[in-house]
Amino acid sequence: MPRNMRIVMPASLLQRQIDLLEYLTSADAIFGESADAPSVPHLQGFDLAPLRLEARFSHEKRMEKIIAAFPRTFELLGGDQATVVRDFVAACPSVDIRRIENARQFYDFVCARWEAKPPQPPYLRDVASCELAMTRLRIKHKARPAQPVAAGRAIRFRRDRDAVFLPCAYDIRPVFEGGPGEAPQRRDVVLASLVPPGSGQPAVFEVPAPVYGLLVELDNWTDRAALGGMEGMDELITDLAEHGLLEVIR
Amino acid sequence: MTPYGPSPAVGIGYRSAIGDWTRDNLAHFDMLEVTVDHCISSGDSVASEIFDLVGRIPMTAHGIGLSIGTDVPVDLAYLDKVASVVQRLQAPAYSEHLAFTRAPGRDLANLLPLPKTEEVAEAIISKVCLIQSRIPVPFLLENISYLFEWPESRMTDVEFLNLICRETGAGLLLDVENLFLNAQNHGFDPVAFLNDLPAGIVKEVHVAGGVTVQKDFLACPFLADSHSHPVPDGALDLLDHVLAKHRPDVVVLERDDRLLEFDEILSDIRRIRARVDAAQHENSHASELVAASD
Repeated sequence: MPRNMRIVMPASLLQRQIDLLEYLTSADAIFGESADAPSVPHLQGFDLAPLRLEARFSHEKRMEKIIAAFPRTFELLGGDQATVVRDFVAACPSVDIRRIENARQFYDFVCARWEAKPPQPPYLRDVASCELAMTRLRIKHKARPAQPVAAGRAIRFRRDRDAVFLPCAYDIRPVFEGGPGEAPQRRDVVLASLVPPGSGQPAVFEVPAPVYGLLVELDNWTDRAALGGMEGMDELITDLAEHGLLEVIR
Repeated sequence: MTPYGPSPAVGIGYRSAIGDWTRDNLAHFDMLEVTVDHCISSGDSVASEIFDLVGRIPMTAHGIGLSIGTDVPVDLAYLDKVASVVQRLQAPAYSEHLAFTRAPGRDLANLLPLPKTEEVAEAIISKVCLIQSRIPVPFLLENISYLFEWPESRMTDVEFLNLICRETGAGLLLDVENLFLNAQNHGFDPVAFLNDLPAGIVKEVHVAGGVTVQKDFLACPFLADSHSHPVPDGALDLLDHVLAKHRPDVVVLERDDRLLEFDEILSDIRRIRARVDAAQHENSHASELVAASD
């Protein structure tokens, strides 16, 4: 056989499915204006117009999931939205059907992008981190009734397992509270995101540094007595429990 | 007699985004269709909401995550999770799409057609047999809407479905909206499709409403299965044809977008129920005529 002659084997169905999905998730299929045949092998014979429509439908469905997870991030991206989305599609094809996985993929992409070029506005990374945490909370959330906590020496408590603590460079609470004209202030702050007892939606609030330090220590069930008799401790425990930051048992 | 009563039950696909409204309006529905994947991977709160409905209203099980058409072995761990959900729901059947959504390294999260060949049908048949051995309720395959054809397809939609269902004993979840769209988009006769189905094969029915899509790169507008608008009369007319020949257990309205248009949803339910009632009346009348002539 001449050295330059190749034996052409028919591609397996799996290989053709892989090639088809590679094309359908490509920026070329989703955004391309060209009517030329795709460069992906094994797709000869397909009608390209419906393939491109399929690619756009699938992309729109995927972006709906991602935008639902990052509504404020997208709002703040403003005029950069289209460029960010195009670059995201090119770098991160869809690999999972789940909302959280697509959200995480987008978050990782924008964080890497912002490493190279800081975002505008500069608090965008904190907002995106907070929105990813809130998306995770919505998925994990189990309804908890609001319960009054009577602090006393007989109780035990630990840090709530679902609470997410976000060390931020900006106090981004105004972004989530929707106050008109309030711009996030540049200051190091720890924010907590969790679903408060009696609520169905995640909330964001500030945790003062000493309280954050205390909560980090409360990884395991701890007796009230172990914290000693410091003034105001009972009130603090009650407050943290009412906000859902502490799980309390008797 | 169906598992739900003497006539086809009418219901909707449960969507957690309108879970509260659905629970407050159960009286409008005979049953709910639950997407098993929502119980498996949408988080504890969604799963709890769904399982709390057991005993309050009958539910059937529907899947979107199997990707039976991907040319790899069936994911047995996933099937076991499905079996567990089906059992908890006390569902009388489990359905999935005759489609693929993913391949190693990519997941489009959208239903794609398969090459309609005997070779591919053979591969699906062996997978259906495996599913039937692991899921202890009847397995149904659903026809999808599709935008493109594989160039090597050699069979019609109905030939492909019939071959797989005949060889496996699987029933059909007939999506009349998908049939309506495919017939329009690909230019075939939907009634001929229905006439070519063996009597009794249709065990469940989906109806929905889509939109017309016009793009500059398309030669003509496409109808898209968006589950977002009222069911078109053309799809309900096809439902009449189905009900004249088959006795499905359920007719399910699928709605995934513009979910807060509750009046539209309830109006569609009434329109579907009117068609089901008319078909029941027609079938009863025909039975009486046959009895009288005997």
